[in-house]
Amino acid sequence: MIRLENVTKEYGGESFALRDASANIPKGEFVFLVGPSGSGKSTCLRLINKQEDPDAGNIYVAGKDIGQMSSWKVPTLRRNIGNVFQDFKLLPTRTVAENVAFSMEVIGRRRSVIKQQVPAICELVGLGDKMSKFPDQLSGGEQQRVSIARAFVNRPLILLADEPTGNLDPQTSIGIMRLLDRINKTGTTVVMATHDRGVVDTMRRRVIELSHGQIVRDEDRGVYG
Amino acid sequence: MAISVDYLTRQTGSNLSRNLSLSVATVLTVAVSLSLLGASLAIQRGVASASDLFRGDVDLLVWMNGDASQEQIDAVGVFLEETPTVASAEYIDKEETLAQFQEYFADEPETLNLLKPEELPTRYEVSPRRPDLASIRSLGADAAQLPGVNAVDFEEQFIQQVEGAVSSLSRIIVVGASISGFASAMIMYNTIRTGLYARRKEIEVMRLVGATKWFIRLPYMLEGLIQGLIGAAISTVALLGLNQAIRNLVSDSENRLFRAFALSTSEVFSISILLFVMGAILGAIAAGIAVTRYLDA
Repeated sequence: MIRLENVTKEYGGESFALRDASANIPKGEFVFLVGPSGSGKSTCLRLINKQEDPDAGNIYVAGKDIGQMSSWKVPTLRRNIGNVFQDFKLLPTRTVAENVAFSMEVIGRRRSVIKQQVPAICELVGLGDKMSKFPDQLSGGEQQRVSIARAFVNRPLILLADEPTGNLDPQTSIGIMRLLDRINKTGTTVVMATHDRGVVDTMRRRVIELSHGQIVRDEDRGVYG
Repeated sequence: MAISVDYLTRQTGSNLSRNLSLSVATVLTVAVSLSLLGASLAIQRGVASASDLFRGDVDLLVWMNGDASQEQIDAVGVFLEETPTVASAEYIDKEETLAQFQEYFADEPETLNLLKPEELPTRYEVSPRRPDLASIRSLGADAAQLPGVNAVDFEEQFIQQVEGAVSSLSRIIVVGASISGFASAMIMYNTIRTGLYARRKEIEVMRLVGATKWFIRLPYMLEGLIQGLIGAAISTVALLGLNQAIRNLVSDSENRLFRAFALSTSEVFSISILLFVMGAILGAIAAGIAVTRYLDA
């Protein structure tokens, strides 16, 4: 589903964000990217959804070399990738339902489809009774659920999560991880960057460890390290 | 990819109303710029019709020799009548010339006593059909060749001065209008950029879930278009008011030149159509460029 071949990304001069990194992530896998801040986890995610381009190497997503992809095809790529962030990135002037509906609207989904899907997905993430609330009326965990609902409502092949539990307490994090696990079980490939040791050690999934932009460990059913 | 009309109207409507103060500011700046442009165009038309009047007043005087024969005088008359660039030619004979002299010099009987009526030169007063210098000049040169013609007078220098003044004034007005148009495009561009910055979070989400650039761009372009059109409507009202004020001011004036500056309502409307087109283009294009540059940055 995702393949990195000798990918290098530098941010000016000597500092490498990613250095000669290679990895293969098959469909339906759940992968943790771990490592300290600045080790290249976020860069890795930004390269996969083509928010940035590598300086060397190739990246394949769903069988396509995205380095060769022309810019007008990028929206099509992104429709296959859901994104979840540490800071949720919810729109504060829209309700929960409107936030979720927004990501369907902007890719041109029919209103009838939106009306039908939004309540179902809100129910799935456990916010069926809070659809008309605004983000600032919700707890951090609830906001992250909205963000996951928004990322998942278009049924992407891949879900990229950048520190989704970074702002949450351990108890709430467990709930979020259960949700991501459920999404993974539907066949969606999940790549999650984190330095939440507790989460990684509990889940026991594949772990790719980065250090100074290099992949230093890649093991199935791994721990944080 | 299909972009639904429903989404477009809702998004544009919410863009306009959510940043109401910014929208009002944009509309007003566009209105001011377009009013300036409209006023420049109105002045230009006023100047053009005033200078037409000016040039229409210029006559050609074909002076006959004092001893010219009747045949020669008639021949010149026929020539002038048959020349297509002549609108009308009037022969002023000796008696009429004398009467004019007597009127002019009524206070100076000594001068009048010196006049010998039989020596007075007679003339044709010629009104050219088109008031342009080249055709008047060639007409004058042709008439001067005819037998019995003493001299041809026309106010060449004066016409040249008028034409020079009109063309340099038009040039200044065009430059002024271009500068104000450019300024309002820049203001529009910056206002939309400010609006984009205020909505950067929304745009980031749109891009991440795979909205196309056109999908993001269209509501903003429509917003710019609407702002441009409202600005044009306001400037049309301003222009109508200004024209009415000028009309009131000059309607009592004896001077035809001043009256030329009051435009007819249809002239004002033809200018306002141009303002609407300019406003629409200005708004949509400035917004389109602002969004494109924002998205590509």
